[in-house]
Amino acid sequence: MNYTISTIAPIFLLPFFAFVLNCIFIKKIPKIVPWVSVAGIVGSFFFALAVFCDFMSVYNTDYYIHKIFNWIDLSHGENVFKINLGIYIDNMTAIMLLMVTGVASLIHIFSTWYMKGDVRWERFFVYLSLFTSAMLGLVLSDNLLSIFMFWEMMGFCSYSLIGFYFEKEEAGNASLKAFMTTRVGDVFFLLGILAIWAVVGSVDIPSIYAAIAEGAFEGKSVFGIALASFAGFCIFCGTIGKSAQFPLQVWLPDAMMGPTPCSALIHAATMVAAGVYLSLRMYPLMYVGELNTMIAYIGGITAFGAATIALIQKDLKAVLAYSTISQLGYMVLGIGVGAYNAAFMHLVTHAIFKACLFLSAGSVIHSYHDKYMPNMGGLKKKLPYTWIAMWCCTLAIAGVPFFSGFVSKDRILGDALFMLYTNNAFFIPAILGFVGAFLTPFYMFRMMFLTFHGKNRDKDKYDHCHKEKLTWNQNVPLLILSVFTLGVFFSGSLTGQGIIKVVSPEGKDWFKVLVEAPVQTNLEKFEGRKKQIFSFIDDRDKTPLPQTNYEHQSGFAGPGYDINSEEAYNDLHHAHVEGAILSVIIVAFSILLAFGMYIFGWISPSFFYDKLSFWVKAIKNKYFMDWLYIDVFIKKGLLKLNNFLSWFDSGIYDRYAIDGWAKVNKVIFKASHWFDRVVVDSVAVDGTAVGTEIFSLVTKSVQSGYIQKYLIALVGAIVALAMFLGF
Amino acid sequence: MISLKAYLFVSMILMVTGLVVMISRKNIVAILLGIELILNSAALNFVAYSKYAANNLDGHIFSLFIIVIAAAEAAVGLAIVIRFFQVKETIHIDEASELREELTR
Amino acid sequence: MFANILFSVSSLLVISSCILMMWTKNLMHSCVYLLGVLIGVAGLYLTLGADFVAATQIMVYVGGVVILMLFAVMLTGGKDYQSQTQKILNLFPSMGNKYTFMWGVGVAFVFGCTLIYFFRNLFSVIKVIESDDSYTPTIERLGELLVTDHLVAFEISSVLLLGALVGAAIIARPRKERPAFIDDIVDDHHHDEEHH
Repeated sequence: MNYTISTIAPIFLLPFFAFVLNCIFIKKIPKIVPWVSVAGIVGSFFFALAVFCDFMSVYNTDYYIHKIFNWIDLSHGENVFKINLGIYIDNMTAIMLLMVTGVASLIHIFSTWYMKGDVRWERFFVYLSLFTSAMLGLVLSDNLLSIFMFWEMMGFCSYSLIGFYFEKEEAGNASLKAFMTTRVGDVFFLLGILAIWAVVGSVDIPSIYAAIAEGAFEGKSVFGIALASFAGFCIFCGTIGKSAQFPLQVWLPDAMMGPTPCSALIHAATMVAAGVYLSLRMYPLMYVGELNTMIAYIGGITAFGAATIALIQKDLKAVLAYSTISQLGYMVLGIGVGAYNAAFMHLVTHAIFKACLFLSAGSVIHSYHDKYMPNMGGLKKKLPYTWIAMWCCTLAIAGVPFFSGFVSKDRILGDALFMLYTNNAFFIPAILGFVGAFLTPFYMFRMMFLTFHGKNRDKDKYDHCHKEKLTWNQNVPLLILSVFTLGVFFSGSLTGQGIIKVVSPEGKDWFKVLVEAPVQTNLEKFEGRKKQIFSFIDDRDKTPLPQTNYEHQSGFAGPGYDINSEEAYNDLHHAHVEGAILSVIIVAFSILLAFGMYIFGWISPSFFYDKLSFWVKAIKNKYFMDWLYIDVFIKKGLLKLNNFLSWFDSGIYDRYAIDGWAKVNKVIFKASHWFDRVVVDSVAVDGTAVGTEIFSLVTKSVQSGYIQKYLIALVGAIVALAMFLGF
Repeated sequence: MISLKAYLFVSMILMVTGLVVMISRKNIVAILLGIELILNSAALNFVAYSKYAANNLDGHIFSLFIIVIAAAEAAVGLAIVIRFFQVKETIHIDEASELREELTR
Repeated sequence: MFANILFSVSSLLVISSCILMMWTKNLMHSCVYLLGVLIGVAGLYLTLGADFVAATQIMVYVGGVVILMLFAVMLTGGKDYQSQTQKILNLFPSMGNKYTFMWGVGVAFVFGCTLIYFFRNLFSVIKVIESDDSYTPTIERLGELLVTDHLVAFEISSVLLLGALVGAAIIARPRKERPAFIDDIVDDHHHDEEHH
């Protein structure tokens, strides 16, 4: 396969053209707008599939495509200032492209059912296309600058989609909140880009990798902090904002105010995935900057805290929103503990099952016309297909063996356990991760039981709800997505830890093999590479790689620990096995607790409410984060500062500086007016005129017309000439 | 023998007198008389130099041509004077000043 | 000896006539004094051995030009002779007043000084040929020169004379009455200017 404009660009451009066309169509022929969007994303899916198939056929970790074209070239002589844009596709990008286009296609198809007849429902597809194209552009980008641009495009689209029902005040507030909260992270992200630019002189990912491999970041510091740490932290702040990590997670639950399909898109395939994707791309920087402990802490706190909040939510979508935050916390935790491969795998599997969960929730809400779980119950009979799809996803997210969530999440937990053995600093994140793994099945099963099982608690709505039929745009997307919640698609073994292999031992564990962490030893391939101009025929050799030595890719461990040794390998294997067994036991207990609480009624939920009343109060208020931000930071701090600045602006700056300047200007004006009137006008302009007139009078009097005067002048001239010649 | 300086002195007197006549008179015919004086002084100079400096007859030839041109000039000039008198009914030289710029200010 | 006497008489005639010509206020007198000047110059030509030139001078100037002048004076005489004032210099206004004479004498003085200065320098440059007073007729040699070396100038002068003759006749000839439409056009033009 040749990677040229015509094979790569459509992945990004088809949804974008759908957006542009829809902008035109929406006023004239709104009926075809959804189908243009669907056609765009499905076409993009096939192009992405072609790229994915090519990468699978090469099957080499070292295989990557990097092509550039010049965007801005202000070089002059020795001063080089050049910005290139381009594409960078490696195995990870290929998988991301397939995942994003696939999930987004199904979401588009589902939206045609869900949004039909809604207000402005055609406009929804306009935003959806732009959103998807921005995400695809971000994934394809080879440099941080264009990643940042697409990042901001997604920020705008999420703002528009969350505030889609802008008649509701909450929706408007939620969209503003999402926009402003992510903006905090974006500022740091931009700062990080500048820091990298200052060191590397370029922001494209292979250059950064090469610079890290050459040790360009060593010994450089800013504000007394190592520059790698500073840049890595700033970029990670972008992730915190976009992927809703611990200090800035407040926007994501409110993002449910948008229509459910857009929640699916934001929470699964695009927006929050972008943050984690960026952190994975910049993984070597975090590694060099030694930020792994901090990242692990943030991930662990997020995973645990969001899971506890999800325990008591009544809104169906709120449970899913908090579970999203929790699962993103797991991904970040995976980055922190060096489980690069597992974190990325969790990103993909989570995107699939969370998209399915949100779409299922949309199906339920749309059918039942209510979103509060206390009013539901027993919907299994009314919505059988949704029930099946949602159960598959629930089992996946809960980490039940044979499902994808188990494969990915428990590899993260296994690595966390391994890090806990080798380094005491990772004790708390690992423990938080395991506790979160205990809570996740509980709240998910609770949600399922409250929604689909037991007796119905609102008879009118139940009777009003029609029985679900198999329709291509309502439940078929859910069922397709639920098929991919099985673990076998992502791992050669059923459990992901290599315990129960379904294929030959060196077999098709493609995900582990292909996605390789860009740690120091692997980065050397980027050194001395040649830049390829776009639309260049790709003639790199595509040798298949030996399929061993890729079992372990943990990035870092404690000091003095040789990662590649036999001993370390055995330790890691043991840790993974222990982690798997441990998490299976935890999940089993958790499921048992859920069954006992909501099906069999052994324990009443109120028991925990009474025992942990303080804890429940904190959870109900979302750990007072909103209160902290809005009432303390904004109202007490920023508002005061704002008022002070406003007072300074209007009271001092306006009154003294501006008005004073006006007075000074008035004086200057008068002086210059006088100068203009007297000196320029009277003396210079009129003086010139008078001078010219006098001169003309003299010359006119010479041209008197009296011939004798001419004769006198002639004689004078002759005399003068004679004098001149004679003397 | 008469020296060259004597002829040149007479010639100079003719020249200067012609100039005075040309400048001081306001009558066009009188101005033409001044011109004749100047032409005669030039012709006299030619002949004098022809004898004292060149020793050939080129100066005589030039004198003849000067006489011819003076005759032609007198004929045309007096014709113009007569025509001017027909139009203006005067031969005052200051009446012939229509090519000047009017001094308006 | 004869040459010296002739030179003295001629130069005296020339100088006195031209000064009187400059001095007089009567145009007719002025013309007569011009006659004296021309005759004196012819005498000077004779002292220089230029017999043909002197003869031409007398024939052309005295016989032609001065008569022409007198005719012109008589043809154009008119108002100027009637407006006589008491002052001597303003006896004939068109013959100049004291201001014009001051200008003329001043300019002539400057010019004369310049000429004297140049003549003084000139004598150091020009090598004066000392020749005897022997007289040889020039007519034959002048005739040869006019049809050999100076033929072109001779022919051109003939054309010039013809042109001057025809031109003088055309200029001095009385005009016919102008056609009426030209007056109309001129009147309209004036009319427009008044409006503007």
